[in-house]
Amino acid sequence: MCLFLISVLANSVRPPYRPKNLLNQIHFIGIRSLFVIILTAIFAGMVLALQGYYTLTRFGAEGLLGPAVALSIIRELGPVLSGLMVTGRAGSALAAELGIMRIREQIDALEVMGIAPLQFLIAPRIIAGLIALPILTVIFDVIGILGGYLIAVQLLEMSSGVYFSGIESAVVMRDIVTGLIKSVGFGLIITWVCTYKGYYAKRGAEGVSQATTSAVVLSSVFILICDYFITSILL
Amino acid sequence: MSQTSFQDISQAKQDAIPLPLGERLVRNGCVSPAQLEQALEAQSKEGHKETLIGKTLIELGYITHPALLNCLFHQLTRERVAYHLDRQAQTIIRFENVEKSLDGRKVLDNLNLEIPANKITAIIGISGGGKSVTLKHMVGLMKPDKGEVWVGDQPLGRLSTRKLNHVRRRFSMLFQEGALFDSLNVTDNVAFPLRETTRLHEEEILRRVELCLQEVNLVGMGNKYPDELSGGMRKRAALARALVTQPEIILLDEPTAGLDPIIENSIHYLICDTFMRTRYTTVFISHAVPAIFDWCHHVVVLHRGRVLASGPSLEIRNSSDPTIKQFISGDLDGPIQVI
Repeated sequence: MCLFLISVLANSVRPPYRPKNLLNQIHFIGIRSLFVIILTAIFAGMVLALQGYYTLTRFGAEGLLGPAVALSIIRELGPVLSGLMVTGRAGSALAAELGIMRIREQIDALEVMGIAPLQFLIAPRIIAGLIALPILTVIFDVIGILGGYLIAVQLLEMSSGVYFSGIESAVVMRDIVTGLIKSVGFGLIITWVCTYKGYYAKRGAEGVSQATTSAVVLSSVFILICDYFITSILL
Repeated sequence: MSQTSFQDISQAKQDAIPLPLGERLVRNGCVSPAQLEQALEAQSKEGHKETLIGKTLIELGYITHPALLNCLFHQLTRERVAYHLDRQAQTIIRFENVEKSLDGRKVLDNLNLEIPANKITAIIGISGGGKSVTLKHMVGLMKPDKGEVWVGDQPLGRLSTRKLNHVRRRFSMLFQEGALFDSLNVTDNVAFPLRETTRLHEEEILRRVELCLQEVNLVGMGNKYPDELSGGMRKRAALARALVTQPEIILLDEPTAGLDPIIENSIHYLICDTFMRTRYTTVFISHAVPAIFDWCHHVVVLHRGRVLASGPSLEIRNSSDPTIKQFISGDLDGPIQVI
């Protein structure tokens, strides 16, 4: 898998460059995941606010709800849930698409035409993952905080000033950078694992289904493992 | 050798000189020089210089479609006889002691093979005999465990990826299932290799694509997606994609597998017609035995990863080898034990 990634990265810096291909992949991985990201973010923010309020009132610290929601989302839930959602929506599709291309000899056809499949198929997908995931994570963060606001201010009747001023004073640039570093890492993990599994799919429809399943499971597990290590390094 | 044989060689060799289709038709008495002149004039008026002259002649009513087919096959038959008699052909692809194992099973076992240039070569043999693996080695899609594959003077196993890609551009390959890209329509599929590997203007690319689609009788199908086409149409679209780059060598992996006899014949005709016009070295795998003996120059019989026989099709067809005889006749009794 490491050799695969090194080959892809080496191929991605070689001409010819195909910006249209890259934009298509950013559209596929990023824009087409937007709906599921917004939906997940709003409910994650809402449930965090509810749970957070319930916990914080025990200690008489409900004024800290805004920072609690924002820090949880920006540092942890934003990148992790975005990563898991993109794995389910786009990662599985990447693995299945490449798997089908492999078993239908379309990848071989590319090679016969003298086109490097790693450069043509894989590099744009991995670069698109590196670009799309941080953007999706930022969107998740904003929508998640707004979801928390809905519950805190509209339902629990907290002052919106308290909610937002708490966030402003508690969140520092380092929190945002930590979340973004994680999202870049997860973008790499998802596209790397899913394209690898799809690219080397074998034995007909069953092989593609196995490749897709293992791509999603491995990506999700790797995301959680890497999340721990990145957190422990950057904390 | 008798005097008649020498005359045969001389006549057949003379006939084997590649000529444009129109000239061949005039030479064989199928149309008159005046009719050919008129057809060429009609083409140039319409600005379609590369339109098949055969089609224009049919449209003008100077020749019927069956007569055109007969003429093409007649020419090819003469060529095949010439090849059978003098065996003059340069080798373009050479396998030297190639061995390949897949999943612990030896698929190619010390394979030595030569593919003649500018001829139609058929690779036949029972399923699992290593035919597709051999074809994939020719274009570097598989690497031998032992031995070497040469394309001209280039050893594929020792080339860098860049040089290998350069060699690959001499090839086109028609895969068993067509390998058309599902997300692209027929026009984009055929245009794909030109867009990705050349710097031609889009107008020129579309003009070439249109011509190729005309050649494979898929005019008006450019906007269809592969899953909207029948099996025969998919094969023809894939053939158009293989032809559009004007390769030196064209590899066809079971181009007629799973097709009905009429479509099968039309694909065979298409291969012959393309060969007669272009002289591309054509290598194909087929189970259409004995039909293929009627129109290919050279036949290679693969059995258990080795070359059982290789030579002019007329010679292989009349082989006394019991395995080859059994394969051609399809008998259950013989050295090949299936059940």
